[in-house]
Amino acid sequence: MVSVAAARPAAPGARIGGVAYRFGRELPPRVLGLVMNLPTMLTLALVLAYPIFYAAYLSFHKVSLAQLRRGIFPFVGLDNYHRILTDPLFLLALKNTFIFTAFSVTLEIVLAIAIALLIDQKHVWTGRITKFLILLPYAVPPIANGLIWSFLYNFDFGFLNRILFTLGLIHEPINWSGEPSTALLAVAVPYIWRTLPFAILLIHAALQGIDPAMYEAASVDGANALQRFRHITLPLLAPVIVVTLVLRTSFAFAVFDEVLAITQGGPGDATWVAAWYSYKKGFNPPFDIGVGSASAFVLALIVGALAIAYVKLIYRRIQ
Amino acid sequence: MRPSAATRALLHLANVAVILFFLLPLIAALIGALQSERSLQASTRSILPPEWTFDNFRVILSGGAQKGTIFDQATYLPDNVKKIYYALANSAVISVSVTLLTLVFASLSAYTVVRLHLRWVLWLMNVNVFARFVPVIVLMIPLYVTFRRFGLLNSIWGVIIALTGFLLPYGILILAPYFASIPRELDEAARIDGCSRFSAFLRITLPLSTPALASYGAIVFVIAWNDLLIPLILNNRAEFMTLPVVIASLVGDVHVFFNLLMAICLIALAPSVLLVLLLRKFVVQGLAVGGVKG
Repeated sequence: MVSVAAARPAAPGARIGGVAYRFGRELPPRVLGLVMNLPTMLTLALVLAYPIFYAAYLSFHKVSLAQLRRGIFPFVGLDNYHRILTDPLFLLALKNTFIFTAFSVTLEIVLAIAIALLIDQKHVWTGRITKFLILLPYAVPPIANGLIWSFLYNFDFGFLNRILFTLGLIHEPINWSGEPSTALLAVAVPYIWRTLPFAILLIHAALQGIDPAMYEAASVDGANALQRFRHITLPLLAPVIVVTLVLRTSFAFAVFDEVLAITQGGPGDATWVAAWYSYKKGFNPPFDIGVGSASAFVLALIVGALAIAYVKLIYRRIQ
Repeated sequence: MRPSAATRALLHLANVAVILFFLLPLIAALIGALQSERSLQASTRSILPPEWTFDNFRVILSGGAQKGTIFDQATYLPDNVKKIYYALANSAVISVSVTLLTLVFASLSAYTVVRLHLRWVLWLMNVNVFARFVPVIVLMIPLYVTFRRFGLLNSIWGVIIALTGFLLPYGILILAPYFASIPRELDEAARIDGCSRFSAFLRITLPLSTPALASYGAIVFVIAWNDLLIPLILNNRAEFMTLPVVIASLVGDVHVFFNLLMAICLIALAPSVLLVLLLRKFVVQGLAVGGVKG
């Protein structure tokens, strides 16, 4: 892929980039490391470190349109936190987020293991089509995904009802995303559709690392397919399953686009989730940015706990 | 060991089910985008519509200038849809700039992680691993307040800066292991021949890492192209909207019907879907290594 000429250093006379060489010395590693990391550090400081602390700051202050115009944010202590923790809507949003995450992540991991095993069967030619198409949902913009599914769900002319009518399974249309009992499910299915490829790929990659000799040895010893899965595949997949679980959980906690496209929190408040709550409080009238920050910070703390667990896991894996 | 015919039939069936699950929404969107509002509402129980038309795409891509036959009576078209070329251009400029910036920044940092053995660089790496867990909404509120003060709202730059920051961590996670897999001896040979560390990085490490750079580049482009929350919060004027923001602005607009919406969705998803299918191998590699977001 890379030509020999590119890999070989150029002749001394043709050196262009070697400024340091021309001065007869080069930057010590310490300084070079600083210079080379400068762009990353500046960007992360501006877009990550500073906003996290600023979000904490804002969550203890009254920040709304009037304060934004004047540029003065009065200190209100724990008032914003008190307000969200006594707001039934926030507690409902948290509860919905937990239900949504538990449901979608569990189903996703099970489906991902099943589909990863399926596409690993090399003698089934349809598996190659599956393998090719698996990345498709990954590339679809989440907001477009949400709208496409809300078209599928449509009560009057949606394709889900059309298919069920054609198959003769229903006689009256079903209001998939409009019923409080099914609305959260109606958001979860598109979310699973879009994020499943990622889980499949992670697990499939790990699957390919398993030595086929182990299966052969087990077969010789008389283990059937189920026993081989139970005693070889599953234990060897355990680390990657845990990683996938943690990653998917932390992202599912912040679900936003599909909610906006499909239900906008409705019907009633059946699909209010944590990120939707922060967005509605902070960026819709009355633009209560302090409350939005406080609620977002609660979300960050929950996800942060997960992140620490993940970093610990990664370290265990490296060592 | 070949499975029995019955097992294979079952596996084929399972594959067909998975393929249908992945394709059905997109097929439905395509059928929806190729018909008129009237035909959508006319036969509500059959799968295939009574008539087909390209008018939805014609109206959108001409910015509302050509109405086509199905929009004869329609007098109202949202401003955002008329300015779809602004959105296309904004999405393209933002995604390409973010991809280039993150590729440069992340490869510089990844190199120092694997070759310079500095304690604080490893610490920076931990910050990176942690960073990708922070929900975007948490950062958007303070960023909105800050960018408002700096006059970066309603500009391409604000979105580029924010997205670059959010996508950098993934890059270091994907590139660092790949850089580490390149034999150190190549680096050392170049340095013995008189290359500085930095030019060894430019001439040896980078050219040998094209697969990893392609992986990360493709993934970043797709995430940047698809992102909604950042441009939604930072930009609200039609001239600065990206495609996802235009789509979001049409949610709940009673004047815009599903046939038109599906056409816009297909226009928005075409570039990223094509890119991913073209660079499929690299994207798979990158996702497996970096465990990027879904």
